[in-house]
Amino acid sequence: MPRLIIDDLEVDVPKGSKVIDAAERLGIMIPRFCYHEALGSVGACRMCAVKFIQGPFKGVQMSCMIDAQDGMVVSTTDEEAVQFRQRVIELLMMNHPLDCPVCDEGGQCLLQDETVSGGHAIRRYRGKKRTYRDQYLGPYIQHEMNRCIHCYRCSRYYQEFSGYRDLGPLQIGDRMFFGRFSDGKLESPFSGNLVDICPTGVYTDKTARFKVRRWDLHRAPSLCNHCPLGCNTIANAHYRGVMRVEARYNQDVNGYFICDAGRFGFSYSNGGALHEKRPWTPRIQGSDVSAKAAIAKAREDLDNVAEKYGPGAIAAVGSARNSLESQCMLGKICRTRGWRGPVFFTDPAKLRKTRSALERLDGDIAVSLREIENADFIVIAGADPLNEAGMAALAVRQASRKQAPIVTIDPRPLFLPCDFDHIPAAPGKIELYLGMLISAALAKDSTGFGKEAVDFYSALVAEKGKSEVPAGIFSLAERLGASQRPVIICGTDVTRETTPSFTADCVRLLRLAGKQAGLFYLLPGAGSFSSALLSGTDGEAFGDLIGDIENGLIKALVVVESDPFHYYPDRVRLERAMESLELVVAIDYFPSSTVSRASIFYPASTIFETGATYVNQEGRAQFARPVHHGGVPVWGGEHPPRVYSNSIPGGDHLPAWKALWEIAGSTPDTGAADISPGEFIPAEHAAFEAFGSDNYPVDGIRVLQGKAGLTGNWNSRIEESSQRPENAEPLELLMVEWMFGTTEFSAWSDSLASAIAEPYMSMNSKDACRAGVCDGDRVSLELDNGTIEIKVSVSDRAAEGVLVIPRHQSLDWRKMKDFSVRVLPGKIRKI
Amino acid sequence: MLPDELKLKLEKMISDAESPREKAIDVMFEIQELQGWMSDEAMVEAAGLLGMTPLELEELATFYDYIYRSPVGKYVIKVCDSTVCWLEGHQSIIDYISARAGVPMGGTSPDGLFTLLPVCCIGYCDRAPAMVINKRVYGKLTPEKIDRILDKLANSAEFHESE
Ligand code: SF4
Ligand code: SF4
Ligand code: FES
Repeated sequence: MPRLIIDDLEVDVPKGSKVIDAAERLGIMIPRFCYHEALGSVGACRMCAVKFIQGPFKGVQMSCMIDAQDGMVVSTTDEEAVQFRQRVIELLMMNHPLDCPVCDEGGQCLLQDETVSGGHAIRRYRGKKRTYRDQYLGPYIQHEMNRCIHCYRCSRYYQEFSGYRDLGPLQIGDRMFFGRFSDGKLESPFSGNLVDICPTGVYTDKTARFKVRRWDLHRAPSLCNHCPLGCNTIANAHYRGVMRVEARYNQDVNGYFICDAGRFGFSYSNGGALHEKRPWTPRIQGSDVSAKAAIAKAREDLDNVAEKYGPGAIAAVGSARNSLESQCMLGKICRTRGWRGPVFFTDPAKLRKTRSALERLDGDIAVSLREIENADFIVIAGADPLNEAGMAALAVRQASRKQAPIVTIDPRPLFLPCDFDHIPAAPGKIELYLGMLISAALAKDSTGFGKEAVDFYSALVAEKGKSEVPAGIFSLAERLGASQRPVIICGTDVTRETTPSFTADCVRLLRLAGKQAGLFYLLPGAGSFSSALLSGTDGEAFGDLIGDIENGLIKALVVVESDPFHYYPDRVRLERAMESLELVVAIDYFPSSTVSRASIFYPASTIFETGATYVNQEGRAQFARPVHHGGVPVWGGEHPPRVYSNSIPGGDHLPAWKALWEIAGSTPDTGAADISPGEFIPAEHAAFEAFGSDNYPVDGIRVLQGKAGLTGNWNSRIEESSQRPENAEPLELLMVEWMFGTTEFSAWSDSLASAIAEPYMSMNSKDACRAGVCDGDRVSLELDNGTIEIKVSVSDRAAEGVLVIPRHQSLDWRKMKDFSVRVLPGKIRKI
Repeated sequence: MLPDELKLKLEKMISDAESPREKAIDVMFEIQELQGWMSDEAMVEAAGLLGMTPLELEELATFYDYIYRSPVGKYVIKVCDSTVCWLEGHQSIIDYISARAGVPMGGTSPDGLFTLLPVCCIGYCDRAPAMVINKRVYGKLTPEKIDRILDKLANSAEFHESE
């Protein structure tokens, strides 16, 4: 650990730290533009000059370019250094427009701050300023090149860090330009980070343009709840609307960045012109009522159903969108009231998969996104990081930049923003190929595993002989064998039920072979970790309830932040079943199909209004603070109602869990007594015992500490091992997620609409031949409940024997009828 | 659209290279040789051949003085724009060429024969002021010498090839 002195203060820093970082540890923020911890040093701006007084360097030098070393004495306040920086800022400001008052970056601009702190106030330059024509960069990013100071942060982030290739530095000298080849939407789904990373106003958030000044914003640490990663964000609100979302640094989760779905997918929570869809008022049979009336009526009607048919005729439905608070309250109510449920998943198989994943996850074996970045070999089995959990793809890229080989074993023709080897594998073959890879990697050191591990290992080796071997797998295995910190990322969407625990066994085997192996599951939603824990071993999914709704065992549903219509694959059947119910109570903030059918509707607050706890896929509990009170926004659209009242229009709703408590929790004796999450969450599951308040450590806390992953039976097996699909064999239809266009958030956030691409079906070229269709054709696909039309994308990188279709909002895929469906090639017809 | 013959040649050139990217400049020179400049369409096509994105190729194209992203005249006159030539009166050379050929700095003469551009040091300092026309360097420039060179160029389209 080098020890050095900066401004008379001594500091020890890890080897390899730059002097600029060492100073930051002391709370001394050396001015900088080009340096950024995530991007490294380039020494482009010259703003971080300090004076080196003693040690291997002497004189004014760039603190971002020099490693901290023993015996250095550095001054940041030395007159020469100060003057140097003053000249630099003057130079950088030479061409800069003097119009901060009309710049959207104003008030949150590093250039502004450092111009002021650098002491540059009077422009001496009298020449012509360099000006540019700006480009159209799509709906999210506004371009204003005149404000550029050529720090290269944007191109380093965009190309090097995030791996996209359509924005970069052009021209030379005074003409230096950062942009695209021609006008057009940025291709990266991580483009929003340009807004955070550019130290000036070149890239600003177009969705928030000219709406509000930074100092007028309410800001609060929040979380993204669009996917299971739980990236940390800062929510910004103004005049009862969320204006924008920024990334918030969390060293173990998202680092400095977030994806565009998380950044721009907040507009569902606002009202106003574009988003009039958010339901603001409680309703009984479609008519607006007061909150009190809705709650009283729900209470009464539920009591009636319970009296008439017994409490078991009421079922509670939550989702992976629920906060931990909602889920635990649902659990508590069902237990105390004797209701059925709660169910959180729609597909029973997915519930089982997620549960079996969690059974094997523990504090030891689970890795964070940061640990993925440091892995030296990554296997991605049945997972699509980019689409299922965006930032995971960026983490994988960081590992790849450090030369880690990346292997994907997946039926989809995956894309990752880095080099990787893809082994196309139908879901039934993922375990087989994963097993091959692992067993070949460990061939030499299988001794000392213990009997069961040896059996497991031998099964892998034996399996190997039975099938064709994917090209290149042995050279990959060799590199896996040489790795120290391999990570397996395993999905729960297209995989077989046994795959998550099989993968855990593989990780365990790698650990027995002396590797620091880690496991990273991708789960189906922000709240799926906790919902799977809370579902218990005999828990049900919505799919298990539908039969009992049909045969009259269930008479009422209480649906909390959930929309079975979004997930259930048989729309016709679900509609009929819902109609047969006597009572549907819905509590939500989306204007979902369930909400529009509900007999009683109560509008819930969003994460921005009342905060929420989410447990991410590695078991990290994190808390989002409320950022504003909420209510019908005062900007855009119609004027809020002109009636006198003490409350904010549309702003009196409760978080779903509290509404549920008022409807069903508090008894007449206790009245509508207040209850806080700390009072009911710990009782719901041992993992949450320590849950006390919302005062989490900044980086969240891991709720799983046990050793589950390293114990238990080696019970997983390899399924459906060998044979190729026969000619007429039906193709397995795989429904998958896309970053844009398949989630409920994207269905209700207008701001995401422009990012949604047209859906297409991927299939292998041999299957396409058999079905007589070509790449680019539009086809009709006959499903059990009707046909859908879709474009075909043919690729050899798609596995044989599968059709891959996104659960796209513009597709009527709910004609599938079942969660898992096979289609004969003859049912695909070119149109 | 690039002519098939050129395309074949470029494809061969690229496939012979260890990594396609290293041929980016040569590919652009070849295309420029034929078409005079790199149009947007040519950029997109060349990028495709090289397995680069148009942006990546544009980064290179706009970095170098000798790749033209807009049409230029038959002869591109590049007057050295560095210190020694400044001392030796490069501005009067520019003014003279401008007046004589009817081209402003950065422009092309109406007859499409001459384009006038500045260039950074060409290493002819001992014979400043200097200029380059297409691939040929001229030093110790005087108005008379410029007259002679430009006359000759204007009269003989093959001038520089034969020199
Ligand atoms: S656009 Fe912004 S980030 Fe990019 S070089 Fe210019 S100032 Fe830096
Ligand atoms: S990666 Fe997931 S959690 Fe992170 S910002 Fe994107 S959607 Fe949100
Ligand atoms: S921050 Fe050090 S040179 Fe830019």
